[in-house]
Amino acid sequence: MDLNFTADELAFRSEIHAWVAANLPKDISHKVHNALHLTRDDMQRWARILGAKGWHGYAWPKQFGGPGWNAVQRHLFEEECARAGSPRIVPFGPVMVAPVIMAFGTPEQQKRHLPGIMSGDVWWSQGYSEPGSGSDLASLKCRAERRGNSYIVNGQKTWTTLGQYGEWIFCLVRTSNEGKPQTGISFLLIDMKSPGITVRPIITMDGAHEVNEVWFDNVEVPAENLVGEENKGWNYAKFLLAHERTGIADVNRTKRELERLKRIAKAEGLYDDGRFRDQIALLEVDVVALEMLVLRVLSAEKSGKASLDVAGLLKIRGSEIQQRYTELLMLAGGPYSTPFIREAMEAGWQGDQALGGLWPGGAAHCVPLGATYFNYRKTTIYGGSNEVQRNIVAQTVLG
Amino acid sequence: MDFDFTDDQTALRDAVARWVEKGFSFERRHAIAKAGGKTREVYAELAGLGLTGLAIPESHGGMGFGAVEAMVVMEELGRGLVNAPYAAGALVAPTLLSAAPAELRRAWLPKMAGGQVLVVLAHQERAARYRLHHVSTRATAAGSGHVLTGAKGIVPAGDEADLFIVPARLSGADTDAGGIGLFLVERGASGASVRGYPTQDGARAAELHLAATPATLITADGGALLDQAADVGNAAVCAEAVGLMDKLIAVTVEYMNTRKQFGATLATFQALRHRIADVKMQLELGRSMSYFASMKLGEPAPQRRRALSQAKVQLGQSMRFVGQQCIQLHGGIGVTDEYVGSHYFKRLAMLELAYGDTMHHLGEVSDRMQDTAGVFA
Repeated sequence: MDLNFTADELAFRSEIHAWVAANLPKDISHKVHNALHLTRDDMQRWARILGAKGWHGYAWPKQFGGPGWNAVQRHLFEEECARAGSPRIVPFGPVMVAPVIMAFGTPEQQKRHLPGIMSGDVWWSQGYSEPGSGSDLASLKCRAERRGNSYIVNGQKTWTTLGQYGEWIFCLVRTSNEGKPQTGISFLLIDMKSPGITVRPIITMDGAHEVNEVWFDNVEVPAENLVGEENKGWNYAKFLLAHERTGIADVNRTKRELERLKRIAKAEGLYDDGRFRDQIALLEVDVVALEMLVLRVLSAEKSGKASLDVAGLLKIRGSEIQQRYTELLMLAGGPYSTPFIREAMEAGWQGDQALGGLWPGGAAHCVPLGATYFNYRKTTIYGGSNEVQRNIVAQTVLG
Repeated sequence: MDFDFTDDQTALRDAVARWVEKGFSFERRHAIAKAGGKTREVYAELAGLGLTGLAIPESHGGMGFGAVEAMVVMEELGRGLVNAPYAAGALVAPTLLSAAPAELRRAWLPKMAGGQVLVVLAHQERAARYRLHHVSTRATAAGSGHVLTGAKGIVPAGDEADLFIVPARLSGADTDAGGIGLFLVERGASGASVRGYPTQDGARAAELHLAATPATLITADGGALLDQAADVGNAAVCAEAVGLMDKLIAVTVEYMNTRKQFGATLATFQALRHRIADVKMQLELGRSMSYFASMKLGEPAPQRRRALSQAKVQLGQSMRFVGQQCIQLHGGIGVTDEYVGSHYFKRLAMLELAYGDTMHHLGEVSDRMQDTAGVFA
């Protein structure tokens, strides 16, 4: 038992650190470090920089053009990227659909889609949730009917994150009503430029346009875009969930945000207030404990000796901690978290000076804090609500 | 980075578990508690397994094992609800004696390793709460040695121990970090009086009064060593709590799958299932931080102290939550003395108070906070 990384792992970390420092554009990391709004261009620029290095699909095996890193190396990569202030890799392409295409797609599908995902050129979206199917995803109704060499898709998907930028979308669609709901679902890849697709924004309570409704009105999808077998889509979706291990805890970004909380607490004169400081301390312990849990999972994966089935715990704890730091950030901003000024979320906003005199000493760093708090209420709801996760955890404990 | 146990560590764990299964039933623990909590006999059995020499160097008759082996043993003792001053005698005391002059180590460590002699730290003072450097007991030079005057309380197995390691002030004010000497005091030394009593968790502790009691100096610079020993004690507390929680949860799960109300087992009710999920969360966070505590024991003092406080904040919360919820999940049977669950609960409750409670250590984490965060910060 040894907490320290091996010499090889440390050398790997240094290599990543140096590369990220040299290649991550400063204007982007500035936004990330200050929780400012990232444009589509910001996200895609970083995706393409990673893609050119072959790291956009950093979890991919060598066989499909990935680096073939092990679990610890992937963690170190995520940690270095997070620490440097890189944007979150938009997961729908490289993290979610790509592994499914690798495992269940045809060679033609692999050849057609994987290069564009790795390079960061093609923006993917996810079509899972529907208005009537949230936690009970298997009840989904969006229909795909086989007609000749095509599927005709009708229905609606929702909560499609960044779907306004999407070029392709992978969807769970109903192809049969026979038997259990899970056995009539198929996994389709759909070109979002297809006639009949409409994307409508959903504005969340922070005023942001992050999620969307996607409507399908007699959308014709070539049958060759079916992944695997018809009516087996639920298995592929479950495979995808199993694929996602420690990333869901998001501990590396959380460490960075904890450091930001300390900076803002200092700026707001709260760092030396014992009552506030103790709240940071409590959060810090939560973060260390979560990181240790993540490291245990990585170690078990690396050695293959012990399996540690704690994905549900990582989701629950990771999301609770994310909400807690956004809460403390808002409290740190105090009354200056009150202004709702969307422009303050943009880099280079000069409104602080424009409102000069009102906020002596500057309070611009407080303005995004309220919005972030509101935005992060999603974390305990998406990806399987924390209550569904508790059902899963309880199943492992109680049977 | 590697969290696997070696084959030797697993064998050690199995050996302790086998002894528990054969030799330390709940009935035995219950009987010991009812009889006042004397456990020297149990300590002797652990010595028979060689465990009292675990942390003592091989050159002094011990096994020279490290923090991870200690953690493994403590987890199993916790799981078995074993009632014995093992951490005090076999882990904390050897840490303190590691700084003693060679002849003192030669005189006592082999006997401690063999379990013939039980040495415990007697540091608690009435006004100190969890501040280790708050020492009012005074040491004054007398002849070639020292005499001590003062009072120490809540000394583990105090009326069964043979010797005490006593922090006493050689110079300075009561709260100074410097000027603290560590002394070895024999139980029967002149001016020493010991009054024992049972503790909530079925063991014993004692008040130790010293009036010009002759004592042998271990080190005149004891403050830092006292910190280190408390960290060793805290790591042991964390590991024991993991074993306790693990078993208490197993007992609770078994009960929930057996007990029926409204025509269904308790395990079928979602309100209770979610509570078990939360309990499992606290167990795994606690286990993670127990590993963290043991693996950080070898770090330089500032990192070690911070890490141990972080660990105790997690374990303190975990043991309180798991204990309380598991009693609640049992319903009425959970609050009875005849049921094993309440004994796990009481031990967990008392462990939170050992070497600093959650609130104390939260303050330490707060005071030691740095700009960076995380396991490797």
